[in-house]
Amino acid sequence: MASPDRYSEYAPAPYSGTRGSFSVHFRQKANGAALYAAMCLGLLFFCVPLYYMFTTSFKAEPEVFAMPVHWIPRSFLPQNYVDAFLAAPFPRYFWNSLLVAVIVVGSTVLFSALAGYGFAKFDFPGRRLAFLFILSTMMIPFQVLLIPLFVVVHQLGWTNSYAGLIIPGALSAFGVFLMRQACLTLPDELMDAARIDGAREVGIFIRIVLPLLKPAIATLAILTFLGSWNNFLWPLIVVTKDELFTLPVGMTVFQQPMQAPYWTYIMAVSTVATLPVVIVFLLLQRYFIEGVVVSGLKG
Amino acid sequence: MRSWIQREFLYRRRVYGVLFVAPAMLFFLVFSLYPTLNGFYLSLTEYTLLKPPVFVGFENYTKLAGNDQFQNGVKVTLWFLLGTTVPKWILSLALAMLFLAPFRGREFFKTLYFTPTLLSAVVVSLVWKLLLDPNGVISALAKPITRDPDTLWLSDRILTPISLIFVDDWAGIPFFMIIWIAGLVGIPRVFYEAALIDGTTRWQAFLHVTLPLLRPTILFVVVISTINSFQSFALQYVMTRGGPSDLTTTIALLVYNYGFNYFRMGQAAAMSVFMFFVIILITLIYIRSVRAEETSYT
Repeated sequence: MASPDRYSEYAPAPYSGTRGSFSVHFRQKANGAALYAAMCLGLLFFCVPLYYMFTTSFKAEPEVFAMPVHWIPRSFLPQNYVDAFLAAPFPRYFWNSLLVAVIVVGSTVLFSALAGYGFAKFDFPGRRLAFLFILSTMMIPFQVLLIPLFVVVHQLGWTNSYAGLIIPGALSAFGVFLMRQACLTLPDELMDAARIDGAREVGIFIRIVLPLLKPAIATLAILTFLGSWNNFLWPLIVVTKDELFTLPVGMTVFQQPMQAPYWTYIMAVSTVATLPVVIVFLLLQRYFIEGVVVSGLKG
Repeated sequence: MRSWIQREFLYRRRVYGVLFVAPAMLFFLVFSLYPTLNGFYLSLTEYTLLKPPVFVGFENYTKLAGNDQFQNGVKVTLWFLLGTTVPKWILSLALAMLFLAPFRGREFFKTLYFTPTLLSAVVVSLVWKLLLDPNGVISALAKPITRDPDTLWLSDRILTPISLIFVDDWAGIPFFMIIWIAGLVGIPRVFYEAALIDGTTRWQAFLHVTLPLLRPTILFVVVISTINSFQSFALQYVMTRGGPSDLTTTIALLVYNYGFNYFRMGQAAAMSVFMFFVIILITLIYIRSVRAEETSYT
Protein backbone atom coordinates (compact mmCIF):
# COMPACT_ATOMS: atom_id res chain seq x y z
CA MET A 1 0.00 0.00 0.00
CA ALA A 2 1.31 3.35 -0.97
CA SER A 3 1.10 5.98 1.67
CA PRO A 4 0.80 9.60 0.59
CA ASP A 5 4.09 10.46 2.23
CA ARG A 6 6.05 8.23 -0.08
CA TYR A 7 5.41 10.64 -2.92
CA SER A 8 6.25 13.77 -1.07
CA GLU A 9 9.65 14.15 -2.64
CA TYR A 10 8.17 14.55 -6.09
CA ALA A 11 5.85 17.28 -5.04
CA PRO A 12 6.93 20.80 -5.85
CA ALA A 13 8.47 21.83 -2.61
CA PRO A 14 8.66 25.58 -2.37
CA TYR A 15 12.10 26.86 -3.24
CA SER A 16 12.70 27.68 0.40
CA GLY A 17 10.78 26.88 3.51
CA THR A 18 8.73 23.79 4.23
CA ARG A 19 5.16 22.63 4.14
CA GLY A 20 3.60 20.15 6.53
CA SER A 21 3.08 16.98 4.55
CA PHE A 22 6.55 16.87 2.97
CA SER A 23 8.50 16.68 6.15
CA VAL A 24 6.58 13.72 7.59
CA HIS A 25 8.41 11.25 5.42
CA PHE A 26 11.86 12.50 6.20
CA ARG A 27 11.33 12.50 9.94
CA GLN A 28 11.70 8.73 9.79
CA LYS A 29 14.99 8.04 11.44
CA ALA A 30 16.73 5.63 9.07
CA ASN A 31 15.95 7.72 6.05
CA GLY A 32 17.01 10.91 7.74
CA ALA A 33 20.36 9.47 8.73
CA ALA A 34 21.00 8.16 5.23
CA LEU A 35 20.08 11.52 3.78
CA TYR A 36 22.44 13.40 6.06
CA ALA A 37 25.23 10.95 5.41
CA ALA A 38 24.79 11.50 1.68
CA MET A 39 24.58 15.26 2.14
CA CYS A 40 27.79 15.40 4.16
CA LEU A 41 29.59 13.26 1.63
CA GLY A 42 28.49 15.64 -1.10
CA LEU A 43 29.60 18.55 1.03
CA LEU A 44 33.10 17.09 1.28
CA PHE A 45 33.13 16.39 -2.44
CA PHE A 46 32.19 19.92 -3.47
CA CYS A 47 33.88 21.94 -0.75
CA VAL A 48 37.15 20.19 0.06
CA PRO A 49 38.93 21.52 -3.06
CA LEU A 50 38.04 25.06 -1.99
CA TYR A 51 39.09 24.38 1.57
CA TYR A 52 42.34 22.94 0.32
CA MET A 53 42.99 25.96 -1.88
CA PHE A 54 42.45 28.28 1.07
CA THR A 55 44.55 26.31 3.56
CA THR A 56 47.39 25.67 1.11
CA SER A 57 47.73 29.41 0.63
CA PHE A 58 48.95 29.65 4.25
CA LYS A 59 51.32 26.67 4.15
CA ALA A 60 55.07 26.62 3.86
CA GLU A 61 56.06 25.29 0.44
CA PRO A 62 57.58 21.98 1.72
CA GLU A 63 54.30 21.26 3.49
CA VAL A 64 52.28 21.16 0.26
CA PHE A 65 53.11 17.58 -0.63
CA ALA A 66 53.77 16.34 2.89
CA MET A 67 52.50 12.87 3.59
CA PRO A 68 50.15 12.10 5.23
CA VAL A 69 48.21 15.09 3.89
CA HIS A 70 48.20 18.10 6.18
CA TRP A 71 44.50 18.90 6.22
CA ILE A 72 45.17 21.53 8.84
CA PRO A 73 48.29 23.53 7.98
CA ARG A 74 51.07 23.18 10.54
CA SER A 75 52.53 26.50 9.53
CA PHE A 76 50.55 29.70 9.20
CA LEU A 77 52.12 32.11 6.73
CA PRO A 78 49.87 35.06 5.73
CA GLN A 79 53.17 36.39 4.39
CA ASN A 80 52.54 34.11 1.36
CA TYR A 81 50.00 36.62 0.13
CA VAL A 82 52.51 39.45 0.20
CA ASP A 83 55.25 37.32 -1.33
CA ALA A 84 52.97 36.00 -4.05
CA PHE A 85 51.90 39.47 -5.05
CA LEU A 86 55.54 40.52 -5.24
CA ALA A 87 56.65 37.42 -7.17
CA ALA A 88 54.87 38.63 -10.32
CA PRO A 89 53.00 41.86 -11.18
CA PHE A 90 49.83 40.44 -9.63
CA PRO A 91 48.63 43.81 -8.23
CA ARG A 92 48.75 45.09 -11.79
CA TYR A 93 46.85 42.02 -13.10
CA PHE A 94 44.27 42.44 -10.37
CA TRP A 95 43.81 46.09 -11.26
CA ASN A 96 43.49 45.27 -14.97
CA SER A 97 40.85 42.63 -14.27
CA LEU A 98 38.93 45.02 -12.05
CA LEU A 99 39.14 47.92 -14.50
CA VAL A 100 38.02 45.80 -17.43
CA ALA A 101 35.19 44.22 -15.43
CA VAL A 102 33.88 47.54 -14.11
CA ILE A 103 33.85 49.23 -17.51
CA VAL A 104 32.32 46.18 -19.20
CA VAL A 105 29.59 45.99 -16.56
CA GLY A 106 28.83 49.71 -16.81
CA SER A 107 28.68 49.73 -20.57
CA THR A 108 26.70 46.50 -20.82
CA VAL A 109 24.10 47.72 -18.34
CA LEU A 110 23.77 51.17 -19.91
CA PHE A 111 23.57 50.14 -23.56
CA SER A 112 21.47 47.03 -22.88
CA ALA A 113 18.97 49.10 -20.92
CA LEU A 114 18.86 51.75 -23.64
CA ALA A 115 18.31 49.21 -26.40
CA GLY A 116 15.92 47.10 -24.33
CA TYR A 117 13.85 50.19 -23.56
CA GLY A 118 13.91 51.21 -27.22
CA PHE A 119 12.73 47.79 -28.36
CA ALA A 120 10.05 47.47 -25.70
CA LYS A 121 8.49 50.92 -25.61
CA PHE A 122 9.07 52.57 -28.98
CA ASP A 123 7.81 51.94 -32.44
CA PHE A 124 9.92 52.40 -35.52
CA PRO A 125 10.26 50.68 -38.86
CA GLY A 126 12.39 47.52 -38.70
CA ARG A 127 12.06 47.15 -34.94
CA ARG A 128 11.12 43.47 -34.96
CA LEU A 129 13.77 42.60 -37.49
CA ALA A 130 16.48 44.44 -35.55
CA PHE A 131 15.53 42.69 -32.31
CA LEU A 132 15.47 39.31 -34.02
CA PHE A 133 18.92 40.02 -35.40
CA ILE A 134 20.32 40.78 -31.95
CA LEU A 135 18.65 37.68 -30.50
CA SER A 136 20.12 35.49 -33.22
CA THR A 137 23.66 36.62 -32.39
CA MET A 138 23.20 34.82 -29.06
CA MET A 139 23.25 31.52 -30.96
CA ILE A 140 26.76 32.02 -32.30
CA PRO A 141 29.25 30.08 -30.14
CA PHE A 142 32.19 32.18 -29.03
CA GLN A 143 34.69 29.68 -30.44
CA VAL A 144 33.40 30.49 -33.91
CA LEU A 145 33.88 34.19 -33.35
CA LEU A 146 37.32 33.78 -31.81
CA ILE A 147 39.44 33.94 -34.97
CA PRO A 148 37.44 36.52 -36.96
CA LEU A 149 36.87 38.70 -33.89
CA PHE A 150 40.57 38.71 -33.25
CA VAL A 151 41.10 39.68 -36.89
CA VAL A 152 38.70 42.62 -36.50
CA VAL A 153 40.48 43.79 -33.35
CA HIS A 154 43.81 43.32 -35.11
CA GLN A 155 42.65 45.42 -38.07
CA LEU A 156 41.46 48.13 -35.71
CA GLY A 157 44.89 48.10 -34.08
CA TRP A 158 43.47 47.24 -30.68
CA THR A 159 45.61 44.24 -29.83
CA ASN A 160 47.63 44.85 -26.69
CA SER A 161 45.36 47.62 -25.47
CA TYR A 162 42.57 48.13 -22.98
CA ALA A 163 40.30 48.85 -25.93
CA GLY A 164 40.91 45.32 -27.23
CA LEU A 165 40.22 43.84 -23.81
CA ILE A 166 37.09 45.87 -23.16
CA ILE A 167 35.21 46.89 -26.30
CA PRO A 168 34.42 43.51 -27.93
CA GLY A 169 32.76 42.49 -24.64
CA ALA A 170 31.13 45.82 -23.89
CA LEU A 171 27.61 44.67 -24.72
CA SER A 172 25.78 41.36 -24.73
CA ALA A 173 22.77 40.20 -26.71
CA PHE A 174 21.56 38.48 -23.59
CA GLY A 175 21.62 41.82 -21.78
CA VAL A 176 19.47 43.47 -24.45
CA PHE A 177 17.05 40.56 -24.26
CA LEU A 178 16.85 40.67 -20.47
CA MET A 179 16.31 44.43 -20.41
CA ARG A 180 13.63 44.30 -23.09
CA GLN A 181 11.74 41.69 -21.09
CA ALA A 182 11.99 43.89 -18.00
CA CYS A 183 10.86 47.01 -19.89
CA LEU A 184 7.82 45.22 -21.30
CA THR A 185 6.43 44.99 -17.78
CA LEU A 186 6.55 48.77 -17.25
CA PRO A 187 3.20 50.54 -17.78
CA ASP A 188 3.12 52.99 -20.71
CA GLU A 189 1.12 55.49 -18.67
CA LEU A 190 4.13 56.15 -16.51
CA MET A 191 6.21 57.42 -19.41
CA ASP A 192 3.28 59.23 -21.02
CA ALA A 193 2.50 61.06 -17.80
CA ALA A 194 6.09 62.25 -17.62
CA ARG A 195 5.93 63.34 -21.28
CA ILE A 196 2.80 65.38 -20.62
CA ASP A 197 4.61 66.99 -17.73
CA GLY A 198 7.19 68.06 -20.25
CA ALA A 199 9.98 65.59 -19.52
CA ARG A 200 12.52 64.88 -22.20
CA GLU A 201 13.02 61.32 -23.44
CA VAL A 202 16.53 61.02 -22.05
CA GLY A 203 15.29 62.37 -18.72
CA ILE A 204 12.51 59.79 -18.67
CA PHE A 205 15.00 57.03 -19.31
CA ILE A 206 17.37 58.14 -16.58
CA ARG A 207 14.87 59.22 -13.92
CA ILE A 208 11.97 56.84 -14.45
CA VAL A 209 12.98 53.78 -16.44
CA LEU A 210 16.41 53.02 -14.97
CA PRO A 211 15.25 53.08 -11.32
CA LEU A 212 12.39 50.73 -12.16
CA LEU A 213 14.77 48.29 -13.83
CA LYS A 214 16.91 47.88 -10.71
CA PRO A 215 16.30 44.14 -10.11
CA ALA A 216 17.00 43.24 -13.73
CA ILE A 217 20.05 45.50 -13.71
CA ALA A 218 21.37 43.78 -10.58
CA THR A 219 21.03 40.38 -12.23
CA LEU A 220 22.67 41.53 -15.45
CA ALA A 221 25.47 43.35 -13.62
CA ILE A 222 26.35 40.28 -11.55
CA LEU A 223 26.37 37.99 -14.56
CA THR A 224 28.42 40.39 -16.62
CA PHE A 225 30.88 40.93 -13.80
CA LEU A 226 31.33 37.17 -13.37
CA GLY A 227 31.81 36.64 -17.09
CA SER A 228 34.36 39.42 -17.40
CA TRP A 229 36.25 38.66 -14.18
CA ASN A 230 36.61 34.99 -15.07
CA ASN A 231 37.17 35.46 -18.80
CA PHE A 232 40.30 33.70 -19.94
CA LEU A 233 40.40 32.90 -23.64
CA TRP A 234 39.85 36.41 -24.99
CA PRO A 235 42.43 38.24 -22.83
CA LEU A 236 44.84 35.38 -23.48
CA ILE A 237 44.83 35.99 -27.22
CA VAL A 238 44.29 39.74 -27.42
CA VAL A 239 47.04 40.76 -25.02
CA THR A 240 50.66 39.62 -25.03
CA LYS A 241 52.17 42.42 -22.97
CA ASP A 242 52.74 41.63 -19.34
CA GLU A 243 51.38 44.94 -18.06
CA LEU A 244 48.01 44.31 -19.69
CA PHE A 245 47.45 40.77 -18.42
CA THR A 246 44.27 40.12 -16.48
CA LEU A 247 44.40 37.97 -13.37
CA PRO A 248 43.47 34.62 -14.99
CA VAL A 249 46.05 35.12 -17.75
CA GLY A 250 48.70 36.27 -15.29
CA MET A 251 48.08 33.22 -13.11
CA THR A 252 48.53 30.74 -15.94
CA VAL A 253 51.66 32.49 -17.17
CA PHE A 254 53.07 32.46 -13.64
CA GLN A 255 52.38 28.76 -13.46
CA GLN A 256 54.20 27.75 -16.65
CA PRO A 257 54.18 24.01 -17.18
CA MET A 258 57.96 23.80 -17.40
CA GLN A 259 58.99 25.66 -14.29
CA ALA A 260 58.38 24.43 -10.76
CA PRO A 261 55.13 26.03 -9.63
CA TYR A 262 55.06 27.75 -6.28
CA TRP A 263 51.83 26.14 -5.17
CA THR A 264 51.40 28.21 -2.03
CA TYR A 265 51.69 31.41 -4.09
CA ILE A 266 49.35 30.13 -6.79
CA MET A 267 46.76 29.16 -4.20
CA ALA A 268 47.11 32.55 -2.50
CA VAL A 269 46.47 34.34 -5.78
CA SER A 270 43.61 31.93 -6.58
CA THR A 271 42.03 32.79 -3.26
CA VAL A 272 42.36 36.51 -3.94
CA ALA A 273 40.96 36.01 -7.46
CA THR A 274 37.92 34.24 -6.02
CA LEU A 275 37.32 36.77 -3.27
CA PRO A 276 35.40 39.41 -5.30
CA VAL A 277 33.06 36.74 -6.62
CA VAL A 278 32.42 35.38 -3.14
CA ILE A 279 31.71 38.88 -1.86
CA VAL A 280 29.24 39.55 -4.66
CA PHE A 281 27.65 36.16 -4.02
CA LEU A 282 27.24 36.74 -0.29
CA LEU A 283 25.84 40.24 -0.72
CA LEU A 284 23.48 39.52 -3.60
CA GLN A 285 22.79 35.83 -3.33
CA ARG A 286 19.20 36.09 -4.51
CA TYR A 287 20.08 37.96 -7.72
CA PHE A 288 23.09 35.77 -8.18
CA ILE A 289 21.24 32.45 -8.28
CA GLU A 290 18.40 33.99 -10.25
CA GLY A 291 20.90 35.24 -12.79
CA VAL A 292 22.48 31.83 -13.12
CA VAL A 293 19.08 30.27 -13.67
CA VAL A 294 17.85 32.73 -16.29
CA SER A 295 21.06 32.84 -18.25
CA GLY A 296 22.62 29.42 -18.31
CA LEU A 297 25.88 31.25 -18.71
CA LYS A 298 28.92 30.44 -16.72
CA GLY A 299 32.46 31.77 -16.48
CA MET B 1 -8.77 66.35 -33.50
CA ARG B 2 -5.37 64.88 -33.01
CA SER B 3 -3.69 67.02 -30.46
CA TRP B 4 -0.13 68.22 -30.87
CA ILE B 5 0.71 66.00 -27.93
CA GLN B 6 -0.27 62.88 -29.82
CA ARG B 7 1.70 63.97 -32.85
CA GLU B 8 4.66 64.85 -30.71
CA PHE B 9 4.51 61.43 -29.02
CA LEU B 10 4.33 59.61 -32.33
CA TYR B 11 7.35 61.52 -33.56
CA ARG B 12 9.24 60.72 -30.40
CA ARG B 13 8.33 57.03 -30.60
CA ARG B 14 10.05 56.85 -33.96
CA VAL B 15 13.06 59.06 -33.48
CA TYR B 16 14.03 58.15 -29.94
CA GLY B 17 13.39 54.46 -30.49
CA VAL B 18 15.97 54.46 -33.26
CA LEU B 19 18.35 56.60 -31.21
CA PHE B 20 18.15 54.30 -28.19
CA VAL B 21 18.63 51.15 -30.21
CA ALA B 22 21.35 52.51 -32.50
CA PRO B 23 24.44 51.95 -30.27
CA ALA B 24 23.51 48.32 -29.69
CA MET B 25 22.80 47.72 -33.38
CA LEU B 26 26.12 49.24 -34.38
CA PHE B 27 27.91 47.09 -31.80
CA PHE B 28 26.39 43.83 -33.00
CA LEU B 29 26.97 44.66 -36.65
CA VAL B 30 30.67 45.28 -36.02
CA PHE B 31 31.40 42.65 -33.36
CA SER B 32 28.96 39.85 -34.23
CA LEU B 33 27.62 39.92 -37.77
CA TYR B 34 30.76 41.07 -39.53
CA PRO B 35 33.10 38.64 -37.72
CA THR B 36 30.72 35.74 -38.31
CA LEU B 37 30.56 36.38 -42.04
CA ASN B 38 34.25 37.16 -42.15
CA GLY B 39 34.94 33.87 -40.33
CA PHE B 40 33.31 31.95 -43.17
CA TYR B 41 35.33 33.94 -45.67
CA LEU B 42 38.60 33.49 -43.76
CA SER B 43 38.07 29.74 -43.74
CA LEU B 44 38.41 29.93 -47.54
CA THR B 45 41.69 31.82 -47.41
CA GLU B 46 45.28 31.52 -46.39
CA TYR B 47 46.02 34.19 -43.83
CA THR B 48 48.89 34.77 -41.42
CA LEU B 49 47.93 38.28 -40.19
CA LEU B 50 51.06 39.70 -41.85
CA LYS B 51 49.83 39.71 -45.44
CA PRO B 52 46.25 40.18 -46.67
CA PRO B 53 44.21 36.96 -46.90
CA VAL B 54 44.65 34.95 -50.13
CA PHE B 55 41.57 33.14 -51.44
CA VAL B 56 42.22 29.41 -51.77
CA GLY B 57 38.70 27.96 -52.11
CA PHE B 58 37.96 24.85 -50.10
CA GLU B 59 41.59 23.90 -49.66
CA ASN B 60 41.48 24.39 -45.88
CA TYR B 61 38.58 21.98 -45.60
CA THR B 62 40.14 19.30 -47.80
CA LYS B 63 43.34 19.66 -45.77
CA LEU B 64 41.35 19.14 -42.57
CA ALA B 65 40.03 15.82 -43.85
CA GLY B 66 43.57 14.50 -44.11
CA ASN B 67 44.88 16.18 -40.96
CA ASP B 68 45.73 13.61 -38.28
CA GLN B 69 45.79 16.24 -35.55
CA PHE B 70 42.30 17.34 -36.48
CA GLN B 71 40.92 13.80 -36.62
CA ASN B 72 42.48 13.12 -33.25
CA GLY B 73 40.94 16.37 -32.00
CA VAL B 74 37.48 15.31 -33.12
CA LYS B 75 37.88 11.99 -31.31
CA VAL B 76 39.17 13.64 -28.12
CA THR B 77 36.37 16.20 -28.21
CA LEU B 78 33.66 13.57 -28.65
CA TRP B 79 34.92 11.50 -25.70
CA PHE B 80 35.17 14.60 -23.56
CA LEU B 81 31.68 15.59 -24.66
CA LEU B 82 30.27 12.19 -23.72
CA GLY B 83 31.99 12.19 -20.33
CA THR B 84 30.98 15.72 -19.42
CA THR B 85 27.34 15.66 -20.48
CA VAL B 86 25.56 12.41 -19.62
CA PRO B 87 27.02 11.95 -16.10
CA LYS B 88 26.47 15.65 -15.44
CA TRP B 89 22.77 15.44 -16.35
CA ILE B 90 22.10 12.35 -14.26
CA LEU B 91 24.06 13.33 -11.16
CA SER B 92 22.85 16.93 -11.07
CA LEU B 93 19.24 15.78 -11.47
CA ALA B 94 19.66 13.23 -8.69
CA LEU B 95 21.04 15.93 -6.39
CA ALA B 96 18.22 18.29 -7.32
CA MET B 97 15.66 15.58 -6.41
CA LEU B 98 17.32 15.19 -3.02
CA PHE B 99 17.03 18.92 -2.42
CA LEU B 100 13.32 18.98 -3.23
CA ALA B 101 12.23 17.46 0.04
CA PRO B 102 12.60 19.81 2.96
CA PHE B 103 14.99 18.88 5.71
CA ARG B 104 16.88 20.71 8.38
CA GLY B 105 19.81 22.61 6.91
CA ARG B 106 18.68 22.23 3.31
CA GLU B 107 19.52 25.81 2.37
CA PHE B 108 22.88 25.49 4.11
CA PHE B 109 23.82 22.41 2.09
CA LYS B 110 22.48 23.85 -1.14
CA THR B 111 24.46 27.07 -0.77
CA LEU B 112 27.68 25.23 -0.03
CA TYR B 113 27.13 22.77 -2.89
CA PHE B 114 26.88 25.79 -5.15
CA THR B 115 30.37 27.08 -4.30
CA PRO B 116 32.31 25.43 -7.18
CA THR B 117 30.26 27.65 -9.49
CA LEU B 118 31.97 30.69 -7.96
CA LEU B 119 35.40 29.59 -9.13
CA SER B 120 36.68 30.62 -12.52
CA ALA B 121 37.72 27.89 -14.93
CA VAL B 122 41.36 28.89 -14.43
CA VAL B 123 41.15 28.60 -10.63
CA VAL B 124 39.33 25.27 -10.92
CA SER B 125 42.09 24.01 -13.19
CA LEU B 126 44.88 25.23 -10.92
CA VAL B 127 43.35 23.81 -7.73
CA TRP B 128 42.70 20.44 -9.33
CA LYS B 129 46.15 20.41 -10.86
CA LEU B 130 47.49 20.61 -7.33
CA LEU B 131 45.06 18.00 -6.01
CA LEU B 132 45.83 15.62 -8.90
CA ASP B 133 49.59 15.98 -8.60
CA PRO B 134 51.27 12.55 -8.46
CA ASN B 135 52.25 13.34 -4.86
CA GLY B 136 49.03 15.16 -4.12
CA VAL B 137 45.86 14.65 -2.15
CA ILE B 138 44.01 12.47 -4.63
CA SER B 139 46.93 10.10 -4.93
CA ALA B 140 47.01 9.83 -1.15
CA LEU B 141 43.26 9.23 -0.91
CA ALA B 142 43.26 6.67 -3.72
CA LYS B 143 46.29 4.80 -2.44
CA PRO B 144 44.32 1.96 -0.80
CA ILE B 145 42.73 1.27 -4.20
CA THR B 146 45.55 2.04 -6.63
CA ARG B 147 48.36 0.74 -4.35
CA ASP B 148 50.49 3.19 -6.26
CA PRO B 149 52.32 5.87 -4.25
CA ASP B 150 52.27 8.37 -7.11
CA THR B 151 49.62 7.86 -9.75
CA LEU B 152 50.08 9.97 -12.87
CA TRP B 153 46.58 11.46 -12.97
CA LEU B 154 47.58 14.14 -15.46
CA SER B 155 50.18 12.42 -17.62
CA ASP B 156 49.02 8.83 -17.93
CA ARG B 157 47.61 8.00 -21.36
CA ILE B 158 44.37 6.54 -20.02
CA LEU B 159 43.91 8.44 -16.76
CA THR B 160 44.43 11.97 -18.06
CA PRO B 161 41.30 12.29 -20.21
CA ILE B 162 39.29 10.75 -17.39
CA SER B 163 40.75 13.19 -14.86
CA LEU B 164 39.78 16.16 -17.02
CA ILE B 165 36.27 14.80 -17.47
CA PHE B 166 36.00 14.33 -13.72
CA VAL B 167 37.08 17.90 -12.97
CA ASP B 168 34.68 19.33 -15.54
CA ASP B 169 31.82 17.33 -14.04
CA TRP B 170 32.78 18.47 -10.55
CA ALA B 171 32.66 22.10 -11.61
CA GLY B 172 29.46 21.77 -13.64
CA ILE B 173 27.17 19.59 -11.53
CA PRO B 174 26.27 22.27 -8.92
CA PHE B 175 25.32 24.69 -11.65
CA PHE B 176 22.97 22.27 -13.37
CA MET B 177 21.61 21.18 -10.00
CA ILE B 178 20.31 24.74 -9.49
CA ILE B 179 18.77 24.71 -12.97
CA TRP B 180 17.00 21.37 -12.30
CA ILE B 181 15.68 22.61 -8.96
CA ALA B 182 14.20 25.67 -10.65
CA GLY B 183 12.50 23.36 -13.18
CA LEU B 184 11.29 20.81 -10.63
CA VAL B 185 9.81 23.44 -8.37
CA GLY B 186 7.67 24.60 -11.28
CA ILE B 187 5.83 21.28 -11.62
CA PRO B 188 2.32 21.69 -10.19
CA ARG B 189 1.57 19.50 -7.23
CA VAL B 190 -1.77 18.28 -8.61
CA PHE B 191 -0.01 16.00 -11.08
CA TYR B 192 1.59 14.06 -8.28
CA GLU B 193 -1.65 13.89 -6.39
CA ALA B 194 -3.30 12.46 -9.47
CA ALA B 195 -0.48 9.94 -9.85
CA LEU B 196 -0.90 8.99 -6.22
CA ILE B 197 -4.61 8.33 -6.68
CA ASP B 198 -3.77 6.12 -9.66
CA GLY B 199 -1.49 4.11 -7.37
CA THR B 200 1.77 4.61 -9.24
CA THR B 201 5.13 3.79 -7.70
CA ARG B 202 7.80 6.43 -7.14
CA TRP B 203 9.70 5.31 -10.20
CA GLN B 204 6.60 5.42 -12.39
CA ALA B 205 5.75 8.87 -11.09
CA PHE B 206 9.26 10.01 -11.95
CA LEU B 207 9.15 8.54 -15.45
CA HIS B 208 5.63 9.53 -16.41
CA VAL B 209 5.05 12.73 -14.49
CA THR B 210 8.35 14.38 -13.65
CA LEU B 211 10.31 13.76 -16.83
CA PRO B 212 7.62 14.79 -19.35
CA LEU B 213 6.79 17.94 -17.40
CA LEU B 214 10.45 18.76 -17.09
CA ARG B 215 10.94 18.85 -20.85
CA PRO B 216 11.83 22.55 -21.22
CA THR B 217 14.45 22.20 -18.48
CA ILE B 218 15.82 19.02 -20.05
CA LEU B 219 16.22 20.81 -23.35
CA PHE B 220 17.98 23.71 -21.67
CA VAL B 221 20.36 21.53 -19.67
CA VAL B 222 21.21 19.31 -22.61
CA VAL B 223 21.90 22.13 -25.04
CA ILE B 224 23.82 24.34 -22.61
CA SER B 225 25.97 21.52 -21.24
CA THR B 226 26.79 20.35 -24.76
CA ILE B 227 27.82 23.81 -25.89
CA ASN B 228 29.82 24.37 -22.70
CA SER B 229 31.68 21.10 -23.18
CA PHE B 230 32.46 21.95 -26.79
CA GLN B 231 33.86 25.28 -25.72
CA SER B 232 35.89 24.00 -22.78
CA PHE B 233 39.31 25.54 -23.13
CA ALA B 234 40.88 26.71 -19.85
CA LEU B 235 40.74 23.22 -18.36
CA GLN B 236 42.81 21.65 -21.13
CA TYR B 237 45.06 24.67 -21.56
CA VAL B 238 45.97 25.02 -17.90
CA MET B 239 45.98 21.41 -16.73
CA THR B 240 47.61 19.54 -19.60
CA ARG B 241 48.23 21.85 -22.57
CA GLY B 242 46.58 19.10 -24.58
CA GLY B 243 49.03 16.42 -23.47
CA PRO B 244 50.11 13.71 -23.04
CA SER B 245 50.77 13.29 -26.78
CA ASP B 246 47.64 15.24 -27.82
CA LEU B 247 45.30 12.95 -25.89
CA THR B 248 43.46 15.95 -24.43
CA THR B 249 43.84 18.28 -27.41
CA THR B 250 40.24 19.18 -28.15
CA ILE B 251 39.16 21.10 -31.24
CA ALA B 252 38.89 24.26 -29.14
CA LEU B 253 42.55 23.91 -28.20
CA LEU B 254 43.49 23.11 -31.80
CA VAL B 255 41.75 26.27 -33.03
CA TYR B 256 43.81 28.23 -30.52
CA ASN B 257 47.05 26.49 -31.49
CA TYR B 258 46.54 26.92 -35.22
CA GLY B 259 45.41 30.51 -34.87
CA PHE B 260 47.77 31.88 -32.26
CA ASN B 261 50.79 29.60 -32.19
CA TYR B 262 51.15 28.74 -35.90
CA PHE B 263 49.27 31.84 -37.15
CA ARG B 264 47.39 29.77 -39.71
CA MET B 265 44.16 31.73 -39.43
CA GLY B 266 42.54 30.09 -42.47
CA GLN B 267 42.96 26.57 -41.09
CA ALA B 268 41.82 27.68 -37.65
CA ALA B 269 38.77 29.39 -39.13
CA ALA B 270 37.88 26.24 -41.08
CA MET B 271 38.02 24.23 -37.85
CA SER B 272 35.76 26.67 -36.03
CA VAL B 273 33.29 26.64 -38.92
CA PHE B 274 33.25 22.85 -38.66
CA MET B 275 32.61 23.16 -34.93
CA PHE B 276 29.88 25.71 -35.54
CA PHE B 277 27.96 23.32 -37.75
CA VAL B 278 28.40 20.41 -35.35
CA ILE B 279 27.04 22.50 -32.49
CA ILE B 280 24.09 23.70 -34.59
CA LEU B 281 23.41 20.14 -35.73
CA ILE B 282 23.46 18.70 -32.21
CA THR B 283 21.21 21.49 -30.96
CA LEU B 284 18.71 20.83 -33.75
CA ILE B 285 18.73 17.08 -33.12
CA TYR B 286 18.02 17.64 -29.44
CA ILE B 287 15.25 20.11 -30.12
CA ARG B 288 13.70 17.72 -32.62
CA SER B 289 13.87 14.67 -30.39
CA VAL B 290 12.35 16.59 -27.53
CA ARG B 291 9.56 17.80 -29.81
CA ALA B 292 8.92 14.29 -31.11
CA GLU B 293 8.56 13.02 -27.56
CA GLU B 294 6.15 15.79 -26.83
CA THR B 295 3.70 14.60 -29.48
CA SER B 296 3.92 11.00 -28.29
CA TYR B 297 2.96 11.98 -24.77
CA THR B 298 -0.10 14.03 -25.53
